[in-house]
Amino acid sequence: MIPMEHVLILGAALFAIGMYGVLARRNAVLILLSVELMLNAVNLNLIAFNVYLRPNPATGMVFSVFVIVIAAAEAGLALAIILRLFRNRRTANVDEADLLKW
Amino acid sequence: MNPDYSLLIPEYILAVWAALVVAVDVMMPKLRRDVPAYLAALGALAAGIASVLYIDVNKGFEAIPGVTIMHVDDYTTYMRVLLCGIAVFILLMSAQFVRMRLSHAGEYSAIVLVATLGGMLMVEGTELITSWIALELLSFCFYTLVSFARRELRSNEAGLKYMLLGAFSTALFLYGLSLIYGVTGTTTYDGIAAALSNRGEDLTLALVVGFVFIIAGLGFKVAAVPFHMYTPDAYQGAPLPITAMLSTTSKAAAFALFFRLFTTAFLPAHEEWKWMIALIAAVTMMWGNLVALQQTNLRRLFAYSSIGQVGFMLIAVAAATQDAGSSLLFHMAGYAVTNLAAFTIIVVFFNREGSDEIADLAGLAERQPFLALAMVTALFSLAGMPLFAGFFTKFMLFVSGWDAGLEWLSGVAVVASLISLYYYLMVIRQMYVIAPRVPGRFRTPALLWGVIAVLVVGVFFLGIWPAPLLDAADTAAAFLFRA
Amino acid sequence: MIGVEHAWIIPAIPLGSFIILALLHNVLPRKGDWLGVLAILTSFALVWFVVADAFTNYPDHLPGRESLEWIEAGRFRVDLGIHVDEVAIVMLIVVTTVALMVNIYSTGYMQERHGLTAEEQRRLLPATAAAHGGHGDTHGDAGHVESSGHHETASAVPEPRYGWFFAVLSLFAFAMLTLVLADNLLLMFAAWELVGVCSFFLIGFYWERRSAAEAAKKAFITTRIGDVGMLIGIIMLWKATGTFHIQTVLHAAETGQIGHTYLVISALFLLMGPIGKSAQVPLHVWLPDAMEGPTPVSALIHAATMVVAGVYLVARMLPLFEAADLLRVILTMGMITAVFASIVALAQTDLKKVIAYSTLSNLGIMMVALGAGSVTAAMFHLMTHAFFKACLFLGAGSVIHATHTQEMGPLGGLWKKMPITGTTFIIAALANAGIIPLAGFWSKDEILHSIDSHAGVVWFVIALVWVVLSGMYTARLVGYTFLGKPRDQHIYSHAHESPFAMTLPLIILGALSIVAGFPILHEVGNSLGLPGGISEFLLTPGEHAEEFHFNVGLATAGTLSALLGMFITGFLMASPGRMARFTAAIPGPYNLVKNKFYFDEMYQWLIDRVILVVAYGVAWFDRHVVNDTGVDGFSSLLNYTGFRLKFAQTGKIPNYALAIVIGVLTLAVIAFSTNS
Repeated sequence: MIPMEHVLILGAALFAIGMYGVLARRNAVLILLSVELMLNAVNLNLIAFNVYLRPNPATGMVFSVFVIVIAAAEAGLALAIILRLFRNRRTANVDEADLLKW
Repeated sequence: MNPDYSLLIPEYILAVWAALVVAVDVMMPKLRRDVPAYLAALGALAAGIASVLYIDVNKGFEAIPGVTIMHVDDYTTYMRVLLCGIAVFILLMSAQFVRMRLSHAGEYSAIVLVATLGGMLMVEGTELITSWIALELLSFCFYTLVSFARRELRSNEAGLKYMLLGAFSTALFLYGLSLIYGVTGTTTYDGIAAALSNRGEDLTLALVVGFVFIIAGLGFKVAAVPFHMYTPDAYQGAPLPITAMLSTTSKAAAFALFFRLFTTAFLPAHEEWKWMIALIAAVTMMWGNLVALQQTNLRRLFAYSSIGQVGFMLIAVAAATQDAGSSLLFHMAGYAVTNLAAFTIIVVFFNREGSDEIADLAGLAERQPFLALAMVTALFSLAGMPLFAGFFTKFMLFVSGWDAGLEWLSGVAVVASLISLYYYLMVIRQMYVIAPRVPGRFRTPALLWGVIAVLVVGVFFLGIWPAPLLDAADTAAAFLFRA
Repeated sequence: MIGVEHAWIIPAIPLGSFIILALLHNVLPRKGDWLGVLAILTSFALVWFVVADAFTNYPDHLPGRESLEWIEAGRFRVDLGIHVDEVAIVMLIVVTTVALMVNIYSTGYMQERHGLTAEEQRRLLPATAAAHGGHGDTHGDAGHVESSGHHETASAVPEPRYGWFFAVLSLFAFAMLTLVLADNLLLMFAAWELVGVCSFFLIGFYWERRSAAEAAKKAFITTRIGDVGMLIGIIMLWKATGTFHIQTVLHAAETGQIGHTYLVISALFLLMGPIGKSAQVPLHVWLPDAMEGPTPVSALIHAATMVVAGVYLVARMLPLFEAADLLRVILTMGMITAVFASIVALAQTDLKKVIAYSTLSNLGIMMVALGAGSVTAAMFHLMTHAFFKACLFLGAGSVIHATHTQEMGPLGGLWKKMPITGTTFIIAALANAGIIPLAGFWSKDEILHSIDSHAGVVWFVIALVWVVLSGMYTARLVGYTFLGKPRDQHIYSHAHESPFAMTLPLIILGALSIVAGFPILHEVGNSLGLPGGISEFLLTPGEHAEEFHFNVGLATAGTLSALLGMFITGFLMASPGRMARFTAAIPGPYNLVKNKFYFDEMYQWLIDRVILVVAYGVAWFDRHVVNDTGVDGFSSLLNYTGFRLKFAQTGKIPNYALAIVIGVLTLAVIAFSTNS
């Protein structure tokens, strides 16, 4: 069986990649996708802990299901707001949304 | 044992009422657009009254036997009543605003109710998944509400920033939760506390990283420096009553969750996180109050002022004693009353003048003396002058911090609150000293006049006779520290 | 029968009057001024019942206590309690007497507002703007706006906030009396802040005038700086003793239950409050500016009552400061203030500013007395000073009322025109200089005595110099205003005696300036029911009883010093031009003194250059470093490539996210480095 550490490292890497995406991307949709990556890293963690450390009860599994569901809802909401941005400004570039500052 | 569904009646009321408000709005298209807000206010009032019935109830809601996902006790009751009360005032100040400036009045009011529902669940949650979902419910409502003025670029932009950064911070928060779950193997607060008190030393680092991420996530929700960056933008862009709600409901609920989580689940590892929160608290109160000095927009000023207040409240979380808990609850109530008063005044002014720049307040004392005087009351209270609510609430916070061995932090807090006086006085000066830009007196609408009067009386009541509320807060906080 | 334990009624009455006046002053006849006067009159009368009770079987009934639980949470407990002892009784008498006089006086003085510029007039009374408009405009064109020294000031208008003024006076009386009676530090602090708020409202009472609003803000913030320290001191003492109750804290301090270093630190913090409130150097800058307030306010708040709250607090807590070995600090600080202020008073040209600096100087000498360990001398001087200084201020107000100017330059010879004001003013001024047998003489004598016997000869000599200086500025004040020849015939010819409502308080206070010192004598004290005179009465427990002796040597030294000072000034003023030649001969020192040793400039510089720069710096950091620049380095680190830098610079949301990441990393790095 693959050691738990490998899964955790994969999770951490995924999390870091997602974080990088949030910091580096300028398109709102891509930022959102990067956040999804981070959430999946969380899911990996949860499932790994669940399977390797405490197989019973399946709390981690349940948790990750909730994370997936909420992430979907979040994506829906975020896309609605991004769509609104696009309609108002004809762009999805977050750099151009800087009316509010200082 | 089956879960005791009767514990959640206030939540049912809010949920059903929210649906009802939307239904009424859909079925009666001719309805005046301020009516749904009044209707929803009744719902919040009903939920608040229902919450009062739970005084001295002390029962867990067990989703499956042995797993208490929610707990109804005096802490819950105190916060439920507070949140419902805030919702009532938010809806009352919203009514005219919505009528004049927003569409979809029904949805607006319904979402305010659901946000309150989310806040209540956050307070009750005693299990990580539940608390987190409640947090998301509240956050989603706020994302929607902040960007509710769909055609306004600022509102849209504020919503976008809040939403994307909120999602990001949620991811951090969840990563932290997953680590805590990994270390302790459970998600209930009690289980975590038990596991933490029997933990081995080798797990400390994983635990500390978990705490860092959780503090970052919650720090974002309460707007602590350096997780605060979205706050001024969201405050400025959101529809005005929602700004008020951000600074009250969102903050109160997040702090209630913060405090419950850290004092019931994480208390055995107090040494691990005490310094982190104390550090953030110090930075937050200095940063918020210093940057506030440079603001020209009233809402941004209040945003930074609220960041400063967050710093004060974090003292209580860092101290994590029963006294700190009661002073936190007490401060929350005082802060909510004061801030609601200030924002109702700003709403009245905004409804009439369409401006929220500090410079436009010039000569308010001549144009509408009542508003100016009420504003002075609110500002003095925020600055922590005696006889106003803010004095005792802040004083208790400082004292509890001092008592818990955080003398330096209380010292910083006293200095920070002195700095705050300066920018509050700048606003007062604007209202009283500078000649009005636009001549002409105006009147405050009767309903909002009444609302402001009630809140101002509340500010004085808490400042002069704080004993009843403090007793309640003390009883409430005691529930977290029974063990 | 009202006993000492019922003394809480005394502040309660003005509170009621405040509530009624604040809500209804527009509805009541005469805007409710009679209610304010009536309320304080009732309190004044009640004080005498309390005094009578205190003297029945003296000292069985003292100290009187009464308390009511206010707040209780865990270890934290505060009572609404009163503690009536001898010192408090003297304060009660002083506060209610002066407050009553000032209330009566204000019914005359505050009817009209003087010295308005056209702009102020237009804002104040939009309805009458048309009528006065042309008049005001010519003023503006001629550049005469706000030249208060000029006799062409705009005409007076009825005071629009007359009722509000009396409301705040009532509130002040409530707060001040609460401060006096409070038996615990927290209640005292609350009252302490409330008198500060009243002072803020009253200094800024003419808020249309920018200088008044600025002065109010300055006073508020400066005293708050002291209060911050005081609050920390109170919390520290609470932490050590578990109570706010003053007597318990004192007991703990005296019996050494608090560690000495801790006690010293907390006492120093506590002392910051009195330094701010009683305007000791270096936090004195607000008091002279506070003269922007209406003159009755200057008399009540900034001479007789609020500013002595600091002295009162130190007197109350003296055993604590004694246990902390801080008496020398208090002594030195007080002496610096006293000498400094009386030097500055020499060169002021504004009538009220001279009196303000004289107040500062007297506050300093009260602190000196406390530093010498003598509550008796300090409290006694506090009492006599309250009467003669209130009389001086009200007299100055009467002059302003009559001449519409408060610059001393154009005045002179007013005694003939205003006999009552002049006579009472001169009596009070002589009392201030310490001329036998007026009130000020006895209390100054007592202070000199305490310095002589407890502080040492050097301090005594400095104190004598201070007496000389007091004599000098007093003579100058009187000489320029009431004596000599009128320097401006126009003002002189229009001057007139003030109405009865204003002269009555002057007469009473003038009389008090004569007799208030006599209770120190055993014979007088005996006949008043104070065996051993007031000095015996004012002893705090533990203080050594020192019988008052009329020490001829001391009295002679004091009086001669005062006369010397007056003579110097008199000599300089006797022939026209001599003073000018004298000041021209020493331009350096003169300018230094005239500009108040440049304290204000220094603080302004500090605020401009340091505090605002720090604030600006942080705001700038928030805007540029976090948002734009700082991102550069960090995001290139993350990106491995430099070309993405420009995206980071312009980006907003990612920058915010970066701040979050930086926060997380900082915490993590600190955690790791401290753990390993």
